[in-house]
Amino acid sequence: MTDSRKRTLALFYCRNVPESNETDRQAIEKAYDERIRLFPLPCSGRLEPVHLLRALEEVADAAYLITCPDGACRYFEGNRRARKRVERTRQVLSEIGLEPERAGIVIGSKESPKTLAQLAGEIFDRICHMGPSPALKDSQAQRRKRRS
Amino acid sequence: MITAEQKPIEEIRGMLAPYKRVLALGCGSCVAECAAGGEKETAMLASALRMSARMNGEDVLIQEKTVDRQCVKQFIIPLDDIIGEYDAILSLGCGAGVQAVSEMYQEIPVIPALNTEFLGETRDQGYWVENCLGCGDCMLYYFGGVCPLARCSKHLLNGPCGGSVDGRCEVDPDIPCAWQLIIDRLTRFGALDRLDEIYPPKNWARKQGSGPRKIIREDQQT
Repeated sequence: MTDSRKRTLALFYCRNVPESNETDRQAIEKAYDERIRLFPLPCSGRLEPVHLLRALEEVADAAYLITCPDGACRYFEGNRRARKRVERTRQVLSEIGLEPERAGIVIGSKESPKTLAQLAGEIFDRICHMGPSPALKDSQAQRRKRRS
Repeated sequence: MITAEQKPIEEIRGMLAPYKRVLALGCGSCVAECAAGGEKETAMLASALRMSARMNGEDVLIQEKTVDRQCVKQFIIPLDDIIGEYDAILSLGCGAGVQAVSEMYQEIPVIPALNTEFLGETRDQGYWVENCLGCGDCMLYYFGGVCPLARCSKHLLNGPCGGSVDGRCEVDPDIPCAWQLIIDRLTRFGALDRLDEIYPPKNWARKQGSGPRKIIREDQQT
């Protein structure tokens, strides 16, 4: 059985997400130790598929994006664009045989807004069933494959 | 602009299989505009290929670089300094770019990562349409700036065919009828009489009649 507590997450997020300032970011990184890498963005529309791919290649078992709620983007369509880019990333992952669920998007809610820390926790719950990524640089799975 | 689309990754991996040190080479011109082979797409493809190689336990080096234009020798020359480090180049240029790079580096295989599609226009974000066949004998003046060879599904020089409905082509209603566009444009300019003439069949010798075409301009040469 895989140890879900060891899954790592690269988390990109719009700075519009509640409680996501620098102090909050440092607190989350401290709480999760090396299991999380946080990447604040001025707008989720700044995210490109290559950012998620690079994160999956170099940093983490899963790469997620948190956007502000639908209709709440300060730049009008940033979160709409972000959704398409995450979808494009998932297509690339499928093409190479990696589970597309390793890249994902969480859209904030206007009605019941959650903090960055709460959303990070929910995403960890979502990815905990996954094994370590075989695509991650020097992952355990990769080392096993090389040895066999 | 020349348009292109990326080949399936599996096909690219198949072509790259014999090579251990690969340079993914993007092009910052036409294929960047159509989001197929620019800097971003090159980085994406290289990243996907590296991950795929890892997942399959392959020990392969894949690095990336993008030049402004792969089809112009002067833009390729800077690769001289690094090209010796690789045993294959994966070109994200159009067919002309792939061949220009091959011509420069005769000893290194240059593998196409894209399927080159057509000469076209960016109609909207993420939407490209074909509108020129590069026939070598432009007739756009006679047709109000709309090419019936490229844009009429039946390539009619003496249209319309009579099959369009509400300005849409009978072959596919998503295609605007080129002849409807031609007539609308010429009417607007008061130049509908240009269609009184019967246009003879196109002389394709200008395009394909004497082998690969070339343009030589002595005034541009050193």
